[in-house]
Amino acid sequence: MLEIQNLTIRYGRHLAVDNVSMHVAKGETVALLGANGAGKSSVLNAIGGRVRPASGLISLDGRDLAALPDHRIVEEGVALVPEGRGVFGPLSVEENLRLGAMPRRARTGAAEAMDEIYALFPRLAERRRQAVRTMSGGEQQMVAIGRALMSRPDYLLLDEPSLGLAPIVTEELFAALHRIRSRGLAILLIEQNVRLGLGMAERAYLMTSGRITGEDSSARIATDPRLAETFLGRTGTA
Amino acid sequence: MLSSTLILGLVLGGSYALVAVGMTLQYGIARIMNLAYGEFIILAAFATYLLFGSLGISPIVALLIIPVIAFGLGVALFQVMMRPLVTRAGGSGRLEVDSILATFGLLFVLQGVMLLAFGGNYTSYGFLDQGVNVLGTTLAANRLLAFALSIGLAGGLFALLQFSRWGLALRAVALAPGSAALVGLNMRRIAALGFGLGTALAAAGGVTVSMFQTFSAHDGVLFTMKALVIVIMGGVGNVLGALVSGLLLGLMETAVARWVDPGLTLAATYILFLAVLLWRPEGLFGKAAGR
Repeated sequence: MLEIQNLTIRYGRHLAVDNVSMHVAKGETVALLGANGAGKSSVLNAIGGRVRPASGLISLDGRDLAALPDHRIVEEGVALVPEGRGVFGPLSVEENLRLGAMPRRARTGAAEAMDEIYALFPRLAERRRQAVRTMSGGEQQMVAIGRALMSRPDYLLLDEPSLGLAPIVTEELFAALHRIRSRGLAILLIEQNVRLGLGMAERAYLMTSGRITGEDSSARIATDPRLAETFLGRTGTA
Repeated sequence: MLSSTLILGLVLGGSYALVAVGMTLQYGIARIMNLAYGEFIILAAFATYLLFGSLGISPIVALLIIPVIAFGLGVALFQVMMRPLVTRAGGSGRLEVDSILATFGLLFVLQGVMLLAFGGNYTSYGFLDQGVNVLGTTLAANRLLAFALSIGLAGGLFALLQFSRWGLALRAVALAPGSAALVGLNMRRIAALGFGLGTALAAAGGVTVSMFQTFSAHDGVLFTMKALVIVIMGGVGNVLGALVSGLLLGLMETAVARWVDPGLTLAATYILFLAVLLWRPEGLFGKAAGR
């Protein structure tokens, strides 16, 4: 279980995340919803080791993740696809995927993992040798997700994968994410498109101004009008 | 006449290319612009001279020994001297300025040590200096060997970077340092390795250059300046660019020395440098907004 307790993150004097606690169980898909600037990305970046929390605990099956240097997090089985994707633009699709298999935990079976990713995203298979920066936003997002999957994570953290993508591309991407989910790895997803996010997730947290202001199962949120108002109303772009 | 200029130019350019590739690696991977780079070249040249002169070890064997030692020295230097700067800069552009100042100081320390140890006079040793005929041009065998070794080493390095797992990691760090941790790459460890590798290449350049050229403890700066020109011309951090620019500069200098005036080679170097920068400020192979 990935567990966050009383997480607080500051950027200088700005309080970005205020005493947040949440958890993701093994194999569970959880959506983190909220308006822009609510602190969702900060939470994900803290789990991924890219941001140092001011206080709080981040643990994975009891191991303290916050104490590890950033490059060790992926070794523990937590792979982050950050906002902006973080792909190696001048390198080819295949090189990006090979880099994904750099962690020790992923070195055996990297070839099979790559075949699986090409099966998942046939567009990438057609463009193996192409430099990633010359590709469309959707394709780059596929590379970023594929690269994260190459590390054979137990937990996949996705920061707004649909950001800036055309609806049809977003649909294709989420179809692939559904297939990824069915393999049993846990996903923590930030998504501005609330319907898409709730469609994927079993549970959702709502963040407002750095705090958790709601938590419920996706089914309940979808059927209870008052919950729907809270989750959908405040986040806008539904 | 044309073919001899071409051959001599390529031979000179081969050494330049090898030397510049190391500097561009240090900058590209470790983000350190090493102004003491030329001192490592001269240090290696003196080491070759000592090994050959007093122990009778062939410079070809020295080429196997000295770069390995230099690699260790480079890694150690990075850990002791550069690491505090990297930590202090915290990923900002400040590292570039700090490293230039720090290595500028290092330049004088190393130069002083060499002046103390070897004096300021020109040094050379005789190794394979009989003539060899290459396409109608008579060339000293040591130059030819130095050229072959330089091209072999630079080509080997390029292949290593392009096709090996290790090379892929080095390139990834050079291209997008911020994403390295996402795939579990330890930036600091790779930066130290890259700096060591660059130092090893400087040493390899020093060994090969010493086979055919006289050198003195003062000469490090000259090599640093030329390497800088080549690195910037090729696009900073770009290995292929450094290779091509190195060969180009060698050709240019030889042609000017032959047809214009040997005293104008340095001026010609800078004219070529300026022309390239006016035409393509990011360098021949640089990417305008690559990072």
